[in-house]
Amino acid sequence: MRAEPAASAPGGEASPRPVKAPLPTPVLNRKSGGRLLTDTRFWPTEVWKSPWSLPRYRAGAMWLAGIVLGIAAAGFAVGELAVWAEKLLALLGRTSLPPAVAAWVWVLIKLTCVIGVIVVNGLWAVWWERKISAHIQSRFGPMYAGGFHGWAQTILDSIKLLLKEDVTPAAADQPMHLLAPIMAIAPCVMAFAPVLFGDELAAAKLDVGVLYIFAFASISVIGIVMAGWASGNKYSLLGGLRAAAQIVSYELPRGFSVVPVIMFAGSLDLAVIDQAQAGYWLGFVPRWFVFYPVVGQLAFIFFLIASVAETNRTPFDIPEAESELVAGFHTEFSGIKWAMFFLMEYGYVLLSSFLLAVFFLGGGAAPLPFLDFIPSWIWMVSKAMLMMFVFLWFRWTFPRMRVDQLMDFNWKILLPWSFANIGFAGVLVYLHRSGWGPG
Amino acid sequence: MQSEELIVTEGGLEMDTMFVNMGPQHPSTHGVLRLGLTLAGEVITKAFPDIGYLHRGTEKLMETRSYHQCVVLTDRWDYCSAMTNNLAFCLSAERLFGTQVPPRAQALRVVMCELNRIASHLILLGTYGIDIGALTPFLYTFREREMILDLYEKCCGARLTYNYIRLGGVAADIDSGWVAKCREFLEFFKPRLDEYDTLLSFNPIFLARTKDIGIISKETAVAWGLSGPNLRGSGVSYDVRKSEPYCGYEQYDFEVPLGASGSCWDRYFCRVQEMRQSVRIVEQALAELPTGELMAKGVPKIPKPPAGEAYAHVEAPRGDLGIFLVSDGGAAPYRLHVRAPCFINLAILQEILVGKKVADVIAVLGSFDIVLGEVDR
Amino acid sequence: MIGYFKTVFLSTWAFIEGLWITLRYLFKPAVTVQYPTEKLVPYDAFRGALLFDPATCIACSLCAKACPSACIALASQTHPETKKRVPKPEWYTLDLGKCNFCGLCQEACPTKPKSVWHSLDYEYSFSSRDEMVRCWKPGFPLAGRVWDPRRKEFRDLESHIPVREVEARK
Repeated sequence: MRAEPAASAPGGEASPRPVKAPLPTPVLNRKSGGRLLTDTRFWPTEVWKSPWSLPRYRAGAMWLAGIVLGIAAAGFAVGELAVWAEKLLALLGRTSLPPAVAAWVWVLIKLTCVIGVIVVNGLWAVWWERKISAHIQSRFGPMYAGGFHGWAQTILDSIKLLLKEDVTPAAADQPMHLLAPIMAIAPCVMAFAPVLFGDELAAAKLDVGVLYIFAFASISVIGIVMAGWASGNKYSLLGGLRAAAQIVSYELPRGFSVVPVIMFAGSLDLAVIDQAQAGYWLGFVPRWFVFYPVVGQLAFIFFLIASVAETNRTPFDIPEAESELVAGFHTEFSGIKWAMFFLMEYGYVLLSSFLLAVFFLGGGAAPLPFLDFIPSWIWMVSKAMLMMFVFLWFRWTFPRMRVDQLMDFNWKILLPWSFANIGFAGVLVYLHRSGWGPG
Repeated sequence: MQSEELIVTEGGLEMDTMFVNMGPQHPSTHGVLRLGLTLAGEVITKAFPDIGYLHRGTEKLMETRSYHQCVVLTDRWDYCSAMTNNLAFCLSAERLFGTQVPPRAQALRVVMCELNRIASHLILLGTYGIDIGALTPFLYTFREREMILDLYEKCCGARLTYNYIRLGGVAADIDSGWVAKCREFLEFFKPRLDEYDTLLSFNPIFLARTKDIGIISKETAVAWGLSGPNLRGSGVSYDVRKSEPYCGYEQYDFEVPLGASGSCWDRYFCRVQEMRQSVRIVEQALAELPTGELMAKGVPKIPKPPAGEAYAHVEAPRGDLGIFLVSDGGAAPYRLHVRAPCFINLAILQEILVGKKVADVIAVLGSFDIVLGEVDR
Repeated sequence: MIGYFKTVFLSTWAFIEGLWITLRYLFKPAVTVQYPTEKLVPYDAFRGALLFDPATCIACSLCAKACPSACIALASQTHPETKKRVPKPEWYTLDLGKCNFCGLCQEACPTKPKSVWHSLDYEYSFSSRDEMVRCWKPGFPLAGRVWDPRRKEFRDLESHIPVREVEARK
């Protein structure tokens, strides 16, 4: 059986190898180097024993703190973006351009900015999702591209997607297959028009901003259904149909959960809703809608859940459930077409995050009075990023629901309670008008 | 068997069915299983599992290899728990030879097999989480599995195909450093099990997805010959470790967890509980590790057993793994047959999938924990 | 009614517990090894790529007999005058494409030190089937050479030029 009898004494300290060859033991003999780990430092028991003793961990914490402080300082230096925008508009008015042309140039500038936000958000959100998911899962995520924590990874990925071959399956409906991503992304861009990026900082000031956003955000589902249909793939078709049912259903609680906010603010204009939350109770509790007793929290949770469902993310990602439908409606898309769907998904995540920030988290208001010196757009963006983190956090924690459970949850729990919440809001508004409660 | 036909629903509605191929290249068929599903909407009216994509003919290959070489091939059946494959073959061959295995080797076999049960169930936990849509527990379970594989690497030199349990004993000894590392792992692992329970087992969405899905009654489970956690999930108390103890399992104090209703969740949770029991067994085995030889005396380099036949079965992580050996007195087995638990567990799919939704197919299939390497061999 | 609210509360609590676990892990250091820049050295017992030493080999071909997948082939030298077999290998090939990494050849080898043994090397990759077959002849380097069918000669392994000696992990 064995060439030698067991050389190691049973239970002894001897090596399990019968005879250790005195020849050199070549190991890891690639040209490329690398730091050799000769202990069990990678065991979680060792790694988690004292995280602060790890230079890597300390450096990461320092970097994070530095980035946060740097952003705050940059915001302080730049000041309010809305003021800059007004200065730019005034500059445009002083030029010799005819007023109509100047107006169009102004619109073009704003459009470029919005599209820029969506594209940059795509790059940023994918990277952020990768890093967040990685660290939640005790991994690193991208580490190489660009040097610092793989910051250039998504930029390179987008270049790859642009250069990739655009494959249209033979069974696909060709014009529809081409049109579907466009149909999906265009409403996403349009829905961003009245979104507030800071106090008064929006591409378009609309009196019916809330309605406008909801109206356009729900058009994208047509693109998704088209994608599912045009792919000529049964899985994609199932995904597209699931998406249609899901998105149309969750529109309702999403809309109704905002009604209390509209009742409190008395307007559909996002800027008015934002302004309505300025100020503090007792000097330190911000008057955000999420802090309104019961109604605010319920509305916030309903809107958050409905937004997660709207954006097709776990636990409501049944249209693209990768373990069931492989990738659902975008299975048969590649290259830039596929990137369009991803831009759309992350665009809607950003949209929902901004809406959550405006509706419930006070928009550009500082959480504490003495932090007022930081401009509103910093607060707005950081609140939106916090909400985006919640989206990611949900995605990497929860399992996926089943189609019928999803519908049950919507129609039997979310929708009735969001109706009830409107009633609660009415009571609250009535009490307030009758002089109860603070401010 | 592909069929797309017109069916009439209960309400008198005429409806086309749709034939969907699930696999062999599908993220959640766990290898190269192909499921042919006939759907009416999202409901399955007919299902058949199609196997054979990973057939390597190991049973036939073994007829031309010596008994020592056969152990190497057993690693390749159920590659998630290669130790129990080694053990099943060696027990069967030892029965043929009449070899007595020394007590230290017996204890080491138990330690390794129970660690392998944990490692194998960790794969199920992770992949089942992915099937249901939770991606994070997968990374957590593999983090723990990595520690077990590291222990294996330290002891026997391989991380997946061990070739550790040999005819007449085990290949390598463990030292006190290994035992300390193993205890460190077990202490680390126990609280992690509670985390899996929070993230998966008692998560309301997970419960809703698995609790009342794919119910197999006791009678059906026995009739289709299920074994292992799939059988015990239905509430049938059958464990080879208890009913026919091998390797001295009778010395260890452990329980056989049983499920209540035979649903996907019960099969899943049986495995979680089994991991707790495995931790107990390993702790007991490490506490009273006998000293002595690792290999039985007198196993020749080219063993030639007397003509005859032998059958031995073990409780593999996936069920009752049995090896039937026939010898004609030559250096190689005359015939070797594997009672592969995955293969037998898979057959019931065609019955219980009917009437389920597409999303449930994944939940049901995942809960059976099949490894295609063992199904096709 | 109370049951309904209890269910809602308990479910929400279960969700929050799950979120708390993932949030805790978010702030724990990652446990992965950054492979190309950090390399884990295997344990002493690790069964990596096979290596062969022509100096100690006695050409008994026990390893070739022990191999379950017939990946070892060798020929012994013959004495130039007497034409008798000499206990030295003339050539020795290992097909790493067929190798099972089971360690049976190493155990079967009767020489001390072992003339065929599993090194700790796990970084091997091949771009063609010819590269999988490593050949040793007297005078060849430790890592062996591979046959280049185009040039009809042996060549060194491209990616395995420097051999570094490392202590195994304890």
